[in-house]
Amino acid sequence: MRSKRLKLLCFKDKVEILLSILASISIVILFLIIIFVLKEGFPAFIRLGFSSFLLGRRWAPYYEDFGAFPLLYGSILIVFGSLAISVPLGVSTAIFLAEYSPKWLSDMIKPVIELLASIPSIIYGFFGLTFLAPKIMEFLNISMGKVALTASMVLSIMTLPTIVSISSEVIASVPKEYRKASLALGATKWQTVKSVVLPAAKPGIIASLLLAFGRAVGETVAVLMVCGCVPQIPSPPWNYLEPVHALTAAIALDMGEVSWGSLHYHVLFGLGVILLAITFIVNMIADFFIKKAPRGVQI
Amino acid sequence: MGKTGVLTVAIAAFIVGLLSGSFALAPLLSANQGLTYAYPEDSSWRTESIRVVGSTTVLPIASECALRFMELYNTTSITVEGGGSGRGYSELIGGLCDIATASRKPKQGELDKAEQEGVTLILHKIAIDGIAIIVHPSVTQNLNGPLNLTLEEIGKIFAGVYSKWSEVREGLPDKEILVFVREHGSGTRATFEEFCMEPYGLEVKTGASEVPSNPAMRQSVEQTPYSIGYIGLGFLSGNVEAVCVAVESGGPFYAPTYENVKEGVYPLSRYLYMVTNGIPESGSLIDRFIDFVKSPEGQRIVERCGYIAIYPKE
Amino acid sequence: MRAIKEKTVLFLLAFSAAILLLTFAAIILFIGVRGLSTINFRVITASIRKGGIFESIIGTLYLLAGTIAIATPLGLATAIYLAEYAPKGKINRIIVQALNNLAGVPSIIFGLFGYAFFCRFLGLGISLLSGWLTLTCMTLPIIVRGSQEALKMVPKDFRIAAEALGAPKWKIIKDIVLPTATPGLATSIILGISRVAGETAAILFTCSVFLTKDLPTSPLQPVMVLTYHLYTLLIACPGASTDYAFAIALILLGLVILLNLLAYLIRMHYRKRWKW
Repeated sequence: MRSKRLKLLCFKDKVEILLSILASISIVILFLIIIFVLKEGFPAFIRLGFSSFLLGRRWAPYYEDFGAFPLLYGSILIVFGSLAISVPLGVSTAIFLAEYSPKWLSDMIKPVIELLASIPSIIYGFFGLTFLAPKIMEFLNISMGKVALTASMVLSIMTLPTIVSISSEVIASVPKEYRKASLALGATKWQTVKSVVLPAAKPGIIASLLLAFGRAVGETVAVLMVCGCVPQIPSPPWNYLEPVHALTAAIALDMGEVSWGSLHYHVLFGLGVILLAITFIVNMIADFFIKKAPRGVQI
Repeated sequence: MGKTGVLTVAIAAFIVGLLSGSFALAPLLSANQGLTYAYPEDSSWRTESIRVVGSTTVLPIASECALRFMELYNTTSITVEGGGSGRGYSELIGGLCDIATASRKPKQGELDKAEQEGVTLILHKIAIDGIAIIVHPSVTQNLNGPLNLTLEEIGKIFAGVYSKWSEVREGLPDKEILVFVREHGSGTRATFEEFCMEPYGLEVKTGASEVPSNPAMRQSVEQTPYSIGYIGLGFLSGNVEAVCVAVESGGPFYAPTYENVKEGVYPLSRYLYMVTNGIPESGSLIDRFIDFVKSPEGQRIVERCGYIAIYPKE
Repeated sequence: MRAIKEKTVLFLLAFSAAILLLTFAAIILFIGVRGLSTINFRVITASIRKGGIFESIIGTLYLLAGTIAIATPLGLATAIYLAEYAPKGKINRIIVQALNNLAGVPSIIFGLFGYAFFCRFLGLGISLLSGWLTLTCMTLPIIVRGSQEALKMVPKDFRIAAEALGAPKWKIIKDIVLPTATPGLATSIILGISRVAGETAAILFTCSVFLTKDLPTSPLQPVMVLTYHLYTLLIACPGASTDYAFAIALILLGLVILLNLLAYLIRMHYRKRWKW
């Protein structure tokens, strides 16, 4: 009896050990990414100095000028622009799906939204380049179609599925009792939604917005194709009708032709460090809000 | 099994069939697209494969020569990539490619890096090219002839010293100048700045838009009113106006034509290169390919692409 | 008065949803209409030397096949470990947290990492293998997450019954849990593929090239891929072959839609069959 049990234990241990090793590869990968990006980006920060790299206002690699501020500004500008479009649109759609839409309709719409989340970013960029940019140029009578506005519009289309699917789930998971109580007190549906359901769902909705922000900041190809790639801060700074540049676009554009080990090479990795830092912080904050979202609190 | 079940199986079968079908057919379909010549057993170069990377200016020449070469010598394999002269040098020095194509000589940083890596850069001239300064037709619509500019005036336009066309010369529209330049590794850019910016201590203005290749430059200038850019002679076509350039003000202004570049009177001209690490081993694929580009057939391809041949074409 | 307000709100919300759906319909139609007019059998099967995009399509399939081959065992192993061997506790939380962070890393960072680590540090160069490894890192979180869900949905009763009969843990997993969870696992793998099928930034400088003779004969050679082909066409030679670009975009779109449809159908079908 005992020896049999021992044999089983050994067998289980072997499998378990193997699986645990394979499972920990995920942790290893994450660490490798952080270590390598930091390792290659570090020399840039050292050689250029933190503040002149991050706050330098001129990005001109050809003349050995590596000020990343216009890139940072451009990225933030287009992401905020995209949120301005996708937040109202996305949250409204989420409320519609979760509260107002009949089941047959939401059952049809939800898979479509999932599908839209899987469409490759290059397709969105392609759409922006060949359809949106010329139309915007025509419509608003400006000299170039590849401007911050176009980039914001493309990004908002790309992040809508994230906002809609997470928000609608969060809203739907607000306990029925909340709604029933409110309606029993004589409130209308909209009053219920506005004053009871939405506040309860707020942390989850905020999390979805943060995730959308993170996704938009990290978007490369679509932005590259429509932002105009001019590393300048528009004048006035909130002018969306001028071309801008972005962190991700700069990395993608220049990476193909830098010499291995040159300052430019390290600078691109330095931009990667900045990008990683932003996405990690945003994801951490989003995590915090997800944990705050009430799940089935019993009254 | 139900409708969804049948549909699922059908789609799954379709995808699996597509995958296995293409894996099976791939070698067959590939093989059917070439001609086969018998070859003697001792030609090891015939089964080599090389990678050619670099200048987008040289790309049409390299691609066409590669295709023609592979047609003649069916078992060789030549991969061609663009990315700019900078990328070519970077990959050659890093050992990632066999031949770099470039429309400029190596920069000091690249020479240093090559020395560090123990790479000797050997430049093989394969063609002559001119750089044309192009503007959107809206700029010259009120002029009676072509736009004449000196090298210094061109430099100042790109540097942002002039912000509107009307400041450059009378008769030009009172509109803001939109500047397009190439990415920083571009040989075309390097040659342009060598002639028009560096001698006058000028740098391209911050508001200039970077485009990643010659065709992209032409398209950008074509589509953007009141814009200016520069382009390799071989890409000069379509709906853009070429500027006539003189070295000094008052001096004779030359149009970027084939004849003017060939005769050496057009100021903005340069050599196009294929670059190797050391002198290519005699008889190797690298050696034979570069010889092919320099051969009459190769030089005819050069001219067909719109550049000027250096070696005899017959 | 209140009724009007209610109706207005409903209208506005439905309107938002409609705008959303219309935008996407516009994108799909835009690509579909122009793409369909260019695609024909010749374009798909002809080599790039003769004006087709054959190598790109096959190259993409090679890339995806290799990625699945590496990522699936790894992802499954991780999911099994998390769900069966360490469902609670510190190690579980650390791995899950790492995966969540990995899922949030922008694709260009994977490209940078892939280049610095696989291409340079490990010396694999710009090759199919580097591409496989880089894309595996990208798709791992998706496969693990989906597989975890699938494994969780296997009812506890199955396991308890098997344990009561004296079966060792691994046998339970192998013969009972895995087969039951297979549809869910398959779905997660399909979704993982769909994510990397359209990936451009990560393969930009790790494995793809624009023009190469024939298909790669070994994993150490670079490969032509649909997304990179489209990217190069649009960025480096715009205007020249827009029709081409539409054709490629259509194929990519079709591939992604097909994969998603498959995943959806699998889920629907098995949800109906197993009513627990």
